[in-house]
Amino acid sequence: MYDAPNLGATVEQKDIKISAKKVQVYYGETHAIKDVDIEVQDKTVTAFIGPSGCGKSTFLRCLNRMNDTIDICRVEGDILLDGEDIYDKRVDPVQLRAKVGMVFQKPNPFPKSIYDNVAYGPRIHGLAKNKAELDEIVEKALRRGAIWNEVKDRLDAPGTGLSGGQQQRLCIARAVATEPEVLLMDEPCSALDPIATAQVEELIDELRSRYSVVIVTHSMQQAARVSQKTAFFHLGHLVEYDDTANIFTNPKDERTESYITGRIG
Amino acid sequence: MSAGLVILVVIAIATAGFFIGRSRSLSAVNGNIRQLHSLPGYYGQTVFLAAAVPALLVAFGWLLLQPILVESQITNMIAPSDIAEGSSRGLVMADVRRIATGLDVAIATGALTEDQLGALSADQSDVRALLGSVGVALASEVKESVLVASKTYREMTATLRSAMAIIVILLSLGGAVFSLSRIKPDFRARNVSETAVKALLILSSTVAILTTIGIIASLLFETAHFFRLYPAKDFLFSLTWNPQFTGGSDLGILPLLWGTLYVSFVALVFAVPIGLLVAIYLSEYATRKVRSIVKPAIEILAGIPTIVYGLFALITVGPLLRDYFAQPLGLGTSSSSVMTAGIVMGIMLIPFVSSLSDDVINAVPQAMRDGSYGLGATQSETVKQVILPAALPGIVGAVLLAASRAIGETMIVVMGAGAAAKLDLNPFEAMTTITVKIVSQLTGDTEFASPETLVAFALGLSLFVVTLGLNVLALYIVRKYREQYE
Ligand SMILES: Nc1ncnc2c1ncn2[C@@H]1O[C@H](COP(=O)(O)OP(=O)(O)O)[C@@H](O)[C@H]1O
Ligand SMILES: [Mg+2]
Repeated sequence: MYDAPNLGATVEQKDIKISAKKVQVYYGETHAIKDVDIEVQDKTVTAFIGPSGCGKSTFLRCLNRMNDTIDICRVEGDILLDGEDIYDKRVDPVQLRAKVGMVFQKPNPFPKSIYDNVAYGPRIHGLAKNKAELDEIVEKALRRGAIWNEVKDRLDAPGTGLSGGQQQRLCIARAVATEPEVLLMDEPCSALDPIATAQVEELIDELRSRYSVVIVTHSMQQAARVSQKTAFFHLGHLVEYDDTANIFTNPKDERTESYITGRIG
Repeated sequence: MSAGLVILVVIAIATAGFFIGRSRSLSAVNGNIRQLHSLPGYYGQTVFLAAAVPALLVAFGWLLLQPILVESQITNMIAPSDIAEGSSRGLVMADVRRIATGLDVAIATGALTEDQLGALSADQSDVRALLGSVGVALASEVKESVLVASKTYREMTATLRSAMAIIVILLSLGGAVFSLSRIKPDFRARNVSETAVKALLILSSTVAILTTIGIIASLLFETAHFFRLYPAKDFLFSLTWNPQFTGGSDLGILPLLWGTLYVSFVALVFAVPIGLLVAIYLSEYATRKVRSIVKPAIEILAGIPTIVYGLFALITVGPLLRDYFAQPLGLGTSSSSVMTAGIVMGIMLIPFVSSLSDDVINAVPQAMRDGSYGLGATQSETVKQVILPAALPGIVGAVLLAASRAIGETMIVVMGAGAAAKLDLNPFEAMTTITVKIVSQLTGDTEFASPETLVAFALGLSLFVVTLGLNVLALYIVRKYREQYE
């Protein structure tokens, strides 16, 4: 399997945040991801597109080992984060997930106050020495989640009482609060109305300055709007991975072209 | 014609009506089902319902009212002088019914003909011996007026019964014919059957509600009766429970209430933590395979009859606690104790708490777990900080339901905690509960006239109030919890 990073790899690593090689994922007998190689760049928004059931979520969940929570799921191949194999025995998946945050399809705030939702990660990981520091972290995260102004007067109100779009931005703030290096988003706008979607997209663009963002989306317009790199998945294969502009204007594979022009999907 | 036969006939008519109705609806449109408003089966159903429901309702009403009517007629025929010393009109009426049955048997077996019966007179022949010979034993000699009453009773019953058979069967036929005549292609048979289903559902829930109301009413009624004989103040506030069947007893509920709450408390202290941990293990940690073995195994505990738990308390746990805890610590020498009953009851409640909490924990959406794991939380952090808080109201509901079961438990307490009503703090003392005392006040003497027996109803009502309160609270909390995720 994976050997210690060699010199050739370190040269590239300036820009490469995540590098996956020959990744296979099985759900029991189902082979859901086949031979995927990809290099995700730092401080970039990478979009995963493809017809539903093609394995976008599955692959995304490999990147923070969320698949470990599914009994029947088995991952093979190498996935390196900053050159280190995240499936190595020495890596604690719990620590990894603090570094690789995740935002889900359906907003899932905990049934706690807005404050406690955001403070959840920092508390678990001991990021704040005292209440004042925690307050500061929470405020910073809510600002980055572009929701501070809407909730600053009701931090004690339950997070579940917010609107869908606000809930999703709260979840983003919650993920940001643990200071991750990579942010994974699985169709973060599919449960939102157009206005909330626009707000979240704007937010994603801002997040790019600090994090590497990977976003799964079934909307090609969204991929075109927010991402710099796009990966097209089809039936468990990574068919094409290139600059977003190239994928949408000049796809090399005919499957990509058919998908983009709406013939498969 | 017996009532059972009449009902069978009605059902036969209705069934025949179903098939006739179905084929009639089909022939009304020459077999083209699309022209019918409803499927043919629905037309059959309307005929079935029209033939069966009114007829059966009348039959049941008749069967309920007939004895009342007959008795009110017959009862006047018995002269007060014929009611023996120490007997009552009710007992004589029971004799009348018994003699009437006996006469029926005698005629059926041929020991007596109808003509002979008409001429039968108690003054001239030994009716008691005659009935005894056909297997109907009577307690005393039959008086002439009683015999006459019995004969009238027999005749009236027979006439009314035939009348009922005729009316009910006619009604059934009439219903069938009427609804058959209504079958036309645009008749909305489906809607009729929908209404019938609705009526059936309403009827069922009415039965449940009326039963509850009936039980409460009888409890209230008898409790009021008790309070006329015994001051309510003493019942509620007296600190002693000392019933004397010769009168002058102390019937204070407090020692019993104390025992009930104490035993239940001990039981919950055992059951709740263990049950909850079991539920957490099963729903969050156990693999599917372990779960499929452990869950049914724990639920077997719930299937053990409480008397078996009682034996376990009496024979194993009681002596064990006495020899290893109570005696060495100098806390008592009794093997029946609050501790014994509490622990065993706690074991009984474990599966109850665990399976209810397991359901509640499983109802916490997977998205909550994902959210927490996605932030880098471990499994136990997720359980402690997200799942349990989210499930807490439901768990409280489960605990309250378990508490109301503990309060109502009888067998384990009799065998584990004894029957001594005491207000004591020592958990190794024998104490007793409300349920146990209800049983002991009622065993043996069942004449509900003295405060010593009527107190059972007041105790029952108090118990009911406590458990009802707990159940209402539990339901309220559980419902509130449900709203959170919908
Ligand atoms: N928990 C699971 N158990 C079994 N099979 C799964 C599970 N999750 C996803 N799959 C299968 O893996 C394939 C890819 O699914 P997914 O990654 O969710 O697709 P996408 O997100 O692109 O729509 C599908 O065929 C799906 O049926
Ligand atoms: Mg998906």
